[in-house]
Amino acid sequence: MSTPARKRLIRDFKKLQNDPPSGISGAPCDNNIMKWNAVIFGPDDTPWEGGTFKLTLQFTEDYPNKPPVVKFVSKLFHPNVYNDGGICLDILQSNWSPIYDISAVLTSIQSLLCDPNPNSPANSEAAKLFQENRREYDKRVQQIVEESWTT
Amino acid sequence: MKLTINKVRLVAAWTWDAGDDACGICRNAFDGCCPDCNIPGDACPLVWGNCKHPFHLHCISKWIGAQSSEQQKCPMCRQDWKFEARK
Repeated sequence: MSTPARKRLIRDFKKLQNDPPSGISGAPCDNNIMKWNAVIFGPDDTPWEGGTFKLTLQFTEDYPNKPPVVKFVSKLFHPNVYNDGGICLDILQSNWSPIYDISAVLTSIQSLLCDPNPNSPANSEAAKLFQENRREYDKRVQQIVEESWTT
Repeated sequence: MKLTINKVRLVAAWTWDAGDDACGICRNAFDGCCPDCNIPGDACPLVWGNCKHPFHLHCISKWIGAQSSEQQKCPMCRQDWKFEARK
């Protein structure tokens, strides 16, 4: 069955394969182009370096007019990531635009890692540490990076 | 030498005046059609916003139609979407 959403996702997949942004990989699940698994690598020269963070992306037939639901599967300690892995990022909610594709979504989440927005916290402890005790924050991030290798 | 032309076959090509780019929403070429259509051309026209950004009519209409009136922005530049009048 080929629908506009599925055609677009196949285009997204081709683009991601032909022109992958650095530190990002992703592919649809077997037999289901609407559900994707992705991995974001922690950017070098940041506390996130070396981390491999898994995510899932769930699309609907309204894509690209509606954003996918994106969740971290790996445990994260980040001001804008909820305990259940949900992500608080404006472009995945009210600031979504249909010109975004999977590369743009994953690249935005990758840059959110090192550039959190502590003013709209999803994890208040992480937001507080990020603002008030960067050393302790970096230590907690380091732990999460190490945990990401085993889960 | 004198030539007599028996038969002439004229061929014309057309293209939208939108560069050789693709629609930002569906990512299909502008000279192709949107994913809901099969035949490019008048059946699946391009439209421009006042901001000069082109889209397939069907693609931008779906996006604008799903937004509340104050959220009807160009997907490219987020300016208020207004269809540009073209001749």
